[in-house]
Amino acid sequence: MANTSAVPAGGTDSITLEIIRGKLLATADEMGVVLKRSSMSPVIYEVLDFACGVCDPEGQLISQTNGITVFTGTFAIQVNHIMEKFSGRMRSGDIYMLNNPYAGGTHYNDVGVIKPIFRAGELFAFSISISHWTDVGGKAPGSLPADSTEIFQEGICFPGVYLYREDVRQDGIFDMIAANVRLPKMALGDLNASLAAVRIAERRVFELCERYGADAVQATFQHVLQTSETVSRAAVAALPDGTYEASDWIDGDGITEERFPTHVSVTIKGDAISFDYSKCSPQLAGPVNCSRGALISAVKTVFKAIIDPQGPSNEGYFRPLEVVAPDGLCFTATKPAPTGWYYEGTGQASELAWKALAPIVPDRVSAGSANSLCVTVLGGVQGESHEPWVMIEPSMVGWGATDERDGNCVTSAITNGDTFNYSIELLEAKFPVRVHQYGLNVAGGVGAGRYRGGYGSVREYEILADDTVLSASYGRSIERPWPMAGGRGGSCNFFELNVGGDTRRAARAPTTVMNRGDRICMYTGGGGGYGDPFTRPAEEVFAEVRADYITPEQAREEYGVVLGADGASLDEAATTALRAGA
Amino acid sequence: MGRLASDIGGTFTDLVYFDEETGALITAKSLTTPEELTQGVIDTIDLAALDPAEVSFFVHGGTTVINAITERKGVKTALVTTVGFRDVLEIQRGNRPDLYNLRFEKEQAFVPRLLRFEARERIDAAGNELEPLDMASLEPIVERCRAEAVEAVAVQFLHSYVAPEHEAACAAYLRENLPGVAVTASHEITREWREYERANTTVFNAYVQPIVQRYFDRLEQALAKAGITCPYSAMQSNGGTTSFSWAKEHPITLMESGPAAGCNGAALVGELCGLSNVIYLDIGGTTAKCSDIEDGKPKVSTEYRLEYSRSQFGYPLRVPVVDIVEIGAGGGSIAWFDKAGLLKVGPVSAGADPGPACYGRGGTEPTVTDAKLITGVLNPDYFANGQFALDENQACLAMQTIADGLDCSVPEAAVAVIRTVDANMINALKLVSIQRGHDPRDFALVVGGGGGAMHGAPLGRELGVKEVIIPIHPGLFSAWGMLATEPRRDFMQTALGRAEDVAIEGIRELFAGLEAEAQEYYRADGHEASALSSETRIDLRYLGQEHSVTVPVNLAEATVASVIDDFHAAHERTYTFRLDDTPVEFVTYRLTATARVARPELVRLDAEGRSAEAAAKGVRMVDFGEDGRHEAAVYERDRLPPGFAADGPLIVEEPSSTTLVHPGQKIGVDDYGFLRITES
Repeated sequence: MANTSAVPAGGTDSITLEIIRGKLLATADEMGVVLKRSSMSPVIYEVLDFACGVCDPEGQLISQTNGITVFTGTFAIQVNHIMEKFSGRMRSGDIYMLNNPYAGGTHYNDVGVIKPIFRAGELFAFSISISHWTDVGGKAPGSLPADSTEIFQEGICFPGVYLYREDVRQDGIFDMIAANVRLPKMALGDLNASLAAVRIAERRVFELCERYGADAVQATFQHVLQTSETVSRAAVAALPDGTYEASDWIDGDGITEERFPTHVSVTIKGDAISFDYSKCSPQLAGPVNCSRGALISAVKTVFKAIIDPQGPSNEGYFRPLEVVAPDGLCFTATKPAPTGWYYEGTGQASELAWKALAPIVPDRVSAGSANSLCVTVLGGVQGESHEPWVMIEPSMVGWGATDERDGNCVTSAITNGDTFNYSIELLEAKFPVRVHQYGLNVAGGVGAGRYRGGYGSVREYEILADDTVLSASYGRSIERPWPMAGGRGGSCNFFELNVGGDTRRAARAPTTVMNRGDRICMYTGGGGGYGDPFTRPAEEVFAEVRADYITPEQAREEYGVVLGADGASLDEAATTALRAGA
Repeated sequence: MGRLASDIGGTFTDLVYFDEETGALITAKSLTTPEELTQGVIDTIDLAALDPAEVSFFVHGGTTVINAITERKGVKTALVTTVGFRDVLEIQRGNRPDLYNLRFEKEQAFVPRLLRFEARERIDAAGNELEPLDMASLEPIVERCRAEAVEAVAVQFLHSYVAPEHEAACAAYLRENLPGVAVTASHEITREWREYERANTTVFNAYVQPIVQRYFDRLEQALAKAGITCPYSAMQSNGGTTSFSWAKEHPITLMESGPAAGCNGAALVGELCGLSNVIYLDIGGTTAKCSDIEDGKPKVSTEYRLEYSRSQFGYPLRVPVVDIVEIGAGGGSIAWFDKAGLLKVGPVSAGADPGPACYGRGGTEPTVTDAKLITGVLNPDYFANGQFALDENQACLAMQTIADGLDCSVPEAAVAVIRTVDANMINALKLVSIQRGHDPRDFALVVGGGGGAMHGAPLGRELGVKEVIIPIHPGLFSAWGMLATEPRRDFMQTALGRAEDVAIEGIRELFAGLEAEAQEYYRADGHEASALSSETRIDLRYLGQEHSVTVPVNLAEATVASVIDDFHAAHERTYTFRLDDTPVEFVTYRLTATARVARPELVRLDAEGRSAEAAAKGVRMVDFGEDGRHEAAVYERDRLPPGFAADGPLIVEEPSSTTLVHPGQKIGVDDYGFLRITES
């Protein structure tokens, strides 16, 4: 019987391409599973601060794991840097390491491992994994001093170096790592996990080639990029042409309490879109800068959110997009500006783009969030054997409301993504810290509205080891999260330190020594509201009074809702009167 | 005497009865009766015309628990936590799996803030009491629960996995002061750390407990009335059974009873065929589920998450559940185009009502079943035992939209739909095989569910398994699997220790403690100690890692060194590397205790009245996709004799299922009547 099927076996028809695309996605997921389950750092296996992906031979991202949004936008830039640097001498069996913020990276802690995949002597693809190492040396445990003024204070740079050269392990670089970081076993363990991840990807890509033919796999790369570009251009074209602007503030840089202005101007013309950050503040003395690669990634994150949030990400989506900004701004910092807390910079840059476009796509965004990773780093030595420990912990924040519902409480900021908070039980078992409270930051409040913002959290730690070093830096500490459509602004991030009996409130703490019994209480802010609070149904407001989200006073002042004299019922007449009179 | 298994599914309630004297299997199927689920059970018993006095064993599985939760029809539930941690259930883990969605919506807590209360007490990570339980702090909680007419209370204190005393005291107080209210303390359900996950598990148990209690009470009455008076067993998610009385207190362990029973069935099929490594695939109307069975044992883990997807974290449940990967791909899965114009199949399903277009009940969307009809795989006049004819015109009409989108003919579109859904299933199958470090060539693929047999052969070929097995009664496979299920309970204890501090005597002592717990549990249930068998495993990891690898331990022979060697090897197999110089940590000791009960001795197929000639039903044209269009011989399964062998392409039909054999494959019928497909 002749093979008369319309669809040739292993051909490059669209169905086969889609099947291969699905397998490339499964490959990226598998890389993530391998990395997570074999890593040594809680910040990787518990917080999931990593991302993995497969790129085509030109370094364009084809498929990625869920993980950190800001990493996936940097893959292409980092792979391209390696391609340039090793041009003409890249060989099968090479594996490189890169963490340079000035070559597409983010900060020194985020270490990229890149493996070129060769097939039949030709460069065929790249696999890449980036994960946050707990410590890469520098002046403070965790490598994130809140008051660094030069990148040299933030640890060791791997400017694109061989880990393996034609399958030969380069022992020197492993020795260098062990000698320069505070937790060498953990660092080398995490490096092993990354190596396992990029290798598993190579194996899977080869299997795809065997099954469908190398040409079909390459054709899939093109197919993935082209179809996404088509979706992306159509989505941009459907937006009204024009220029949309937004301004904001960076609330201090760790060195001064000064505020620094930021601004974006988004221009949509046909199926192209440009984000111009030229009017932002020059680069800052402190570590909240980000470099150009991280800025581009930050813009990609929001662009993707508006164009096609659920489609698996790849470089094709970003072809209509252009980012304009001269070197030397807070979002395009140049060496040796510090970038340790770069995620504050990228978070701001993302949110600016989001805020600028919100008026034309209110159905695709939420109001502003208490948008900061609010990272706290604690470290020192613990136990009889004086084992060094470092705990790096991003805090979750309140998100803004949408036109359909209240904002999420305690959720990872835009720059992060599928990252987790620490389990209290795990944290207390691993670190010399006791947690006294982890709850909703009800006292801080949220932006009122027809739909209210989500609540931030309050988390109170007692330190159980002397000479513990704290370093913390919270953004969104002065400027409140912005509302939409007549809602109210949200609330801000800060922490309270109780050291040696003195209590002070702050948003940034450069290297502070804490001792047994000292406390830090971390408050994250609530999101902005959506719509007029007086249109929120009185029963919903009353229900939140009963559940202790808001006080009767807040119900009256913010929502025009009056409770009966017993405080346990709703006074509908008084509510109607108050709301009408307002 | 005989063994009776009853399984309630979304559409049908199934019954399988095994006559222990004659070896005969009696089956019955009736429509599920959602208003009064026990009615469907009784209906099947009536249909099967059983003598109730002959039933010596009754096992039951169903969807009461999972439905109450997914439909949010549980009872009004409160939660009591350590002071300072009232909101953990609402905060959850703070992650956003839907990375780029600025309107992401996290899961709603099952207990609202109004009903989340705090008790004064504190225990540290080592289990030391920092602050005693303040009983006075419980008084206002009791009052509020009464005022709010709460029907269930969950209790979850920090570090209760290591020191449960405060939780136990609190639960006792609540039980005494809130009569008629279901109280669940977290340590009664799970002894694993992570407060959110444990709290959620506990809340879910409380949320369904009164419902399940009432359900099992009614079922007991109905069975007694029907004259079935043997002990009743409930199928659990861990692949074992338990008594009704235990199930009523721990309903959350019944969550995935159907798939767990299917896994047991697959393990039994493997055993009968002399194969210890099996991948099980169940394809229903809406989803496909797969699991791997290694060394004859379904894999059980506590990583289950309800309503999990790529874009939603779902609700974690830390109870042992057979490790299932589930995807939205089944017979009713709808084919559609995404905004880039690319063909997708599922996860939306046409379900049973209106069902696929070819059912002729008003469905207009093209589904996998329509594609199977168009390609000639399904016989329109012999679907669901010929209860209704499939309408090919309706199928083609629906498929036209796909043909238009792909700019091809309707038959070509149908092939494209099948290839796409098969690819989705392959990715799920790889998750349970290759991605877990298994080589599929060491495995057989056992398929069940109404749709399994149709997809099994091409999937088996793509995955590279050594053979594909279609068991008898694939459409009733979960009920069949329950017959092969033994009482089981998992006992575990976390005890962190570095390898150099661990001695084999200590390991034996730990397991002896768990063994004693197991003996006590079964003694209370009326089992003989001599009938118990236990399996011991240890979770180990490299120092600094969080996730561990589980290694089986044979206590009679093991040494600490041999356990560590096994761990290095298992780690390398799973994650491609080993760290010989890194210290190894012992984490959790696991003992699985099963009570041996007589399993059904499956009777061999009688050749009487069976022959290739009697089974042959002619030929029909079938499009095998990548393998081309071919005229395929069609056989009636019930007439095929043992020892029958033939080369594909061919089709084997039976009332509840259709088996497809591709060109280049061959089929054999073994002594038990299983269909065995291999590559030629």
